[in-house]
Amino acid sequence: MDCEQLAPLYEEYALGVLEGEERAELEAHLARSCPTCTPGIAKARGVVAQLALYAPDAEPPAALRGKILDAVKSSNEASRATVPVNKTATKQPIFPAWAWAAAAALALVTGYSIRQMGIQTTQLAELRREMKLATLQSQALQNQLDEGRMVASVMMSPDSMPLKLMPKDKNMPMVHAYLHPHMGVAITADQMPGIAPARTLQLWLVTKKGQPMSVAIFRPDAQGQIAMVAPVTMPLNEIAALAVTEEPAGGSPQPTSAVAWMAQVN
Amino acid sequence: MLLAVVQPWPEGKQPTDAALMERVQQRDSTALEVLYDRYGRPVYSLVLRISQQPASAEEIVQDVFLQLWRSAERFQISRGPLEPWLFAMARNRALDFLRLKREKQRRREDSTDSDLPFSAVARPDPEGDIDRSRRTERVRALMSSLPDAQRRAIELAFFEGMSHSEISEAMGEALGTVKSWIRGGLLRLRESLEEARS
Repeated sequence: MDCEQLAPLYEEYALGVLEGEERAELEAHLARSCPTCTPGIAKARGVVAQLALYAPDAEPPAALRGKILDAVKSSNEASRATVPVNKTATKQPIFPAWAWAAAAALALVTGYSIRQMGIQTTQLAELRREMKLATLQSQALQNQLDEGRMVASVMMSPDSMPLKLMPKDKNMPMVHAYLHPHMGVAITADQMPGIAPARTLQLWLVTKKGQPMSVAIFRPDAQGQIAMVAPVTMPLNEIAALAVTEEPAGGSPQPTSAVAWMAQVN
Repeated sequence: MLLAVVQPWPEGKQPTDAALMERVQQRDSTALEVLYDRYGRPVYSLVLRISQQPASAEEIVQDVFLQLWRSAERFQISRGPLEPWLFAMARNRALDFLRLKREKQRRREDSTDSDLPFSAVARPDPEGDIDRSRRTERVRALMSSLPDAQRRAIELAFFEGMSHSEISEAMGEALGTVKSWIRGGLLRLRESLEEARS
């Protein structure tokens, strides 16, 4: 189908109702950044979004505003070390009140420690180590949460293509994959066996010409679970299969072992 | 009150979404407050309509505005207005919630026998220049003017996230009929919004 034939379908695609051949045709145009269909779809999404105004008016709970702002402040505090702040463009203080309070408390504790001939200094150092550990754990949990959200977004998107990667070894669990034209590929699995420290699992896209292209390396977590999203840089209609192999830690440029899981795509 | 805090917005003038998003990109939480005051209600209304659960709607709206805060750097006003992006993000989150709920329900039944790239959502569109209350009137008038079945089909698509064939099945109508209803309704929506703009 050409762009002229696809144009009447833009709003239906934006709405998420389009299926089958029509949807595949339109996605093929989008996958190659069609100069007509890409802006057409973006505009259609703007139109369809207006249906939100058809929802009956509802008043959000009064406490919601405060919850959002509290969460934003918490988020700020957690990421302040890594997020650059444009100090000249805002009237925000360089250090917030909590930072001054923390600095003052630290100064007091340090002075006290000096007076106590180093005993408390040791305790303070221990506390700092614990705080650093807690911060790292918190960051790791946040990363896990973010990854989980990304996986859920891909899994639940109506644009994703669900696939089952069947194991060659019948004792192994099935691996689920969700291919999305823009968000990449999400991989999930449960009850995966442990992988030797010197080895890793590697996900490959197999092109229709039979060429394997590395997508990601990954390992099951301590509970044997896998939940990850990796970018896909080629149009979905050029992918023939997804495959997983076991490779040396760090991955390989080309598969070096037999395929352990595989799914045909098209 | 807030506007007095966030300088240097001109006195007596409402800051634009673009100006607010620029402040959000600079991690100015007061700008997010203004955005919440501007969009919190329609976003909550949309999410509640989809989720049908106030507690879940509250959680989803919180998530949407936190995502707006975290993904602010992805927003470029030159590529389109904020509102459709925000509505699309809220709808997607709420539909994700709905699908998860259905999947859990399905799994329970089985056991007794389950941030849109910005550029893809918002481009210069016909809605930006029309104020929201006028657009709300337009959209509601249009939907009310549709025959019950056609309106229902569009509601199932937008608020329930159903596909053509799912709607066909749910309504017991031929697939072609459902397609025709939805296509016709969306065409009228587009025309109505374009007409309001002109």
